[in-house]
Amino acid sequence: MLFKKLIRTIGRYKAQFISMIIMVALGVGIFLGFNIEWKTLEVNVAKAFEDTGFADYRIVNELGFSEEDLQKVASIDGVDAASRFLSVNVPRKDDEDIVMLTVSENIAVSGFKVLEGTAYDPEDTEGLWISERYAKQNGLSVGDTYTMVYKNIEFSGPIRGLVKSGEYMICLVEKAQMMPDHEKNGFVYVSPAYIKAKIGMTFYPQIHVRSSLPKETMIERAEAALGKSYMIVDKELVTSYSEAHGEMTEGKTMAALLPVIFLAIAILTMITTMHRISISEKTQIGTLKSLGFKDRRILRHYAAYGLFISLCGTILGVAVGLGVGYFFVNPNSVMGDYLDMEHWELHMPLWSIAVVIAINVVLVLATLYSVASMMKGTAAEALQPYAPKAMRRMWIEKKKVWKNLSFATKWNVRDILRHKSRSFMTLFGIVSCMLILIASFGINDTLNSYIDDFFENSICYKTKIVLDTETAGDADVEALIDRYEADWTSSMGIQIGENTYAMEIYGLEHDYFRFVKNHGEHIDLPDDGVLICERIAKKEGLKVGDTFTVSVYGTTEKYELKVADIAKSIAESVMMSDTYAEKLGVQYRVTELFTNETEIEESPIISSTQTKQALLDTFKSFSELMNVMIVMLVFISVLLGIVVLYNLGIMSYAERYRELATLKVVGFKDRHISRILIDQNLWMTILGVLLGIPAGIGVLKILLVMLASDYELTLTISWLTYVIATALTFGVSFIVGVMVSRKNKNIDMVEALKVAE
Amino acid sequence: MKIVEISHVSRIYKVGDHEQKALDDVSLELENGKTIVILGPSGAGKSTLLNMLGGLDSPTSGTIKIKGKDISTLNADQLAEYRASGVGFIFQAYNLIPTLTVLENVALVKEIAKDPLSSHDMLREVGLGEHMYKFPVELSGGEQQRVSIARALTKNPDILLCDEPTGALDTETGVMVLKLLQSMAREHGKTTIIVTHNQNIAKMADVVVHVKNGKIKEVINNDKPLAVEEVEW
Ligand SMILES: Nc1ncnc2c1ncn2[C@@H]1O[C@H](COP(=O)(O)OP(=O)(O)OP(=O)(O)O)[C@@H](O)[C@H]1O
Ligand SMILES: [Mg+2]
Repeated sequence: MLFKKLIRTIGRYKAQFISMIIMVALGVGIFLGFNIEWKTLEVNVAKAFEDTGFADYRIVNELGFSEEDLQKVASIDGVDAASRFLSVNVPRKDDEDIVMLTVSENIAVSGFKVLEGTAYDPEDTEGLWISERYAKQNGLSVGDTYTMVYKNIEFSGPIRGLVKSGEYMICLVEKAQMMPDHEKNGFVYVSPAYIKAKIGMTFYPQIHVRSSLPKETMIERAEAALGKSYMIVDKELVTSYSEAHGEMTEGKTMAALLPVIFLAIAILTMITTMHRISISEKTQIGTLKSLGFKDRRILRHYAAYGLFISLCGTILGVAVGLGVGYFFVNPNSVMGDYLDMEHWELHMPLWSIAVVIAINVVLVLATLYSVASMMKGTAAEALQPYAPKAMRRMWIEKKKVWKNLSFATKWNVRDILRHKSRSFMTLFGIVSCMLILIASFGINDTLNSYIDDFFENSICYKTKIVLDTETAGDADVEALIDRYEADWTSSMGIQIGENTYAMEIYGLEHDYFRFVKNHGEHIDLPDDGVLICERIAKKEGLKVGDTFTVSVYGTTEKYELKVADIAKSIAESVMMSDTYAEKLGVQYRVTELFTNETEIEESPIISSTQTKQALLDTFKSFSELMNVMIVMLVFISVLLGIVVLYNLGIMSYAERYRELATLKVVGFKDRHISRILIDQNLWMTILGVLLGIPAGIGVLKILLVMLASDYELTLTISWLTYVIATALTFGVSFIVGVMVSRKNKNIDMVEALKVAE
Repeated sequence: MKIVEISHVSRIYKVGDHEQKALDDVSLELENGKTIVILGPSGAGKSTLLNMLGGLDSPTSGTIKIKGKDISTLNADQLAEYRASGVGFIFQAYNLIPTLTVLENVALVKEIAKDPLSSHDMLREVGLGEHMYKFPVELSGGEQQRVSIARALTKNPDILLCDEPTGALDTETGVMVLKLLQSMAREHGKTTIIVTHNQNIAKMADVVVHVKNGKIKEVINNDKPLAVEEVEW
């Protein structure tokens, strides 16, 4: 019998039940979705690294390692495997594509996995194993011949296999690149035998090591084994590793931040709504009690409502969660563009299931809590209709202005103040909606301004020429600089204490490269100090005027540098002028040239060229990632706003039904009554928007702090963001207001006023 | 002058396939300034008739003219205007807005009525001058009913419609409310229509209309209506 009542009650409070189910589904869905995102990455990235023997350490020597060196490293206690390794950027023949030609002597380290074609053969002197992604984009298949040109030598051969490699999971050929371009860039593995056959010798500037030793131990033992200190890069500094893990960390932060809002709203909505429903069910509860139903039985009955809602919501939520998770991480998503890996199966953390169960328990408890308060006391007391709290005069009513307000205003003000929890929830919904909008548009503004600062203000050249440092002699470089009227830079690895950074020396006569601070403000490269990037300043605790010591990698040279200013930089680097470098006596070799020429003649000392446009293009896909995220968040926040406000609107409408009917009987027109309802909505929206703006800025600040290790971002919010966010929030509120107030046309005056309360 | 002219009015409710005739071809004319009591058993159609006169409901067929104007064909807004100035309602449930004070409950009609009276004066007339700034819950049932009388009269309507105005009150309070109603109606020259199933109330009416099964059984003119005090309760 009570089951029938359950069904009818659900029918009667359709709108409330549906909106609560949606809220729960959104809460659970967003929670699961965001956790699925990072967990899926974690599992699949780890698998990709494991499958292809991703190296834990890379020992670097520009002059190359010998066979003996390798043996020494391989026999270090705690090293599982080691391999001499070579990777050079080479252009495809008669093409602008640049691929990374790679040799790993021991393919179990920094190797690859063959998806199509024949397995790797270290004795193969002809075949190539090529990036599957790049091959697909360029219509290459197994058996086709592929040709690269390096130092005027053609490296050519049949494609033996299409492969994926953890080493190139994020396939960037250029350090300023933010997103891979799979059409223009890829990687090609060949065997040591192939290289030997082509050039008669092998040259390996790196030894890749698989080992679980901690970094200090590794450094110590490698130094002892090799008898010399080399730069040792651990995997945390390798883009494929650090960026992939950066994505997971970002995912985890989002997963810890965003779902909390939604779950809180779901639970609060549940409490307020169930409270309202149990108020209107109060006499029924009393009736059941007086009929002899035990409290426990009645509670169980109402718990079933809560359970029904939370289960429906959870089931839907799991679907939403899988959808959201898939949306973010699938091979065709922007993440799929970023990370080139084989497996994309969705995974969720086990504990998230426990959290979902806990959410269900909380929702049912919330229901019980609401009902229990209606059942207190004897059956007779329970039978009494719910007596709203007596009206108390509020401070505002003692003011003079109060007298002159229209009755509608007074009515609305008192209604808001009397139904505090409902008003609070409404406000919370509007603030959340506004907050998400401001934060998501704001992050877009911030990143755009960062990109603008960098690309519009910093990069003033048309083409960048990357030199081959092994072959390029000083005279050749001078000749190129003259020929292309170029500016130049030299980049080297340095250490400040234990930390590794880059040091860049610039020779800028044409200002083809400029340095910027916040919001594109220019700084000139001083001749008596260096610029350091914001991240170094923070990590090393350096301020303008401080001095610090750097040691150049692979040498014993140490320099005292003075911080002249702090600039923005994509890489973590120390920037100095050639004049200052010469003053200090820093040894350097020019590594890159910047020029306004676009036609660059091929030359053995040029390893590659890159246009500014090509660099800008890689940002397009980066902004795409942002846009997808923003569209999603806007959609979510609008949906959230509509559901929360509609639910509360309906509740408020139901509570005031009798009063609205009275107004109608007395002679108020529908339009007039609608306006009163919309007015209240409007005030709440104005207040919500005013609170939502600082809240959004606050969340954005937190996000920037969390992203700070990757980007040097300055909080930027354009006026358009405020306008759009406000307009959207008002739009949502207005639509809901109209939806609810339209209902008053259907108020049945006769019916509403027939029975006394 | 005829203030109310009802001719051939029927009101049919459809309940599923079944048709429920709440009013069945009713015709009635009422004079201005009179007190009319509509009597009848439960379910007779009294409230239906009253709601129709008040513009809360429209007849399925037939016409209702108030001061010569047909209200059975008005649209929702026009009906609202009619309710705002033409009629005042007093229900068994007082239907006050709990979040407005007594004065505000009465004064709110001044925003819509064409020619309203002073709400302060009206509250003083119904004896609530002391209680203007209280909220409805702070008043007794009789006092609340007096607020709704004051609200109805502030609109300065031609007709007062009362559906079981004393239904929720004890006899003593009920008599007081009726006394007030009668004196206010006389003083302000209102036509007052009271629906009740209390035979005694009929004794104070100029006209008594008996309704049964949706039809008017009889209309009795009472030449000597009694004052409320004269009725034996
Ligand atoms: N909304 C409705 N739907 C269906 N039938 C209705 C509706 N409202 C009233 N009726 C029916 O119309 C008839 C007249 O109802 P009405 O309320 O006018 O009676 P009444 O004379 O006022 O009775 P009471 O003295 O009990 O108030 C009744 O039989 C009732 O069942
Ligand atoms: Mg009735």
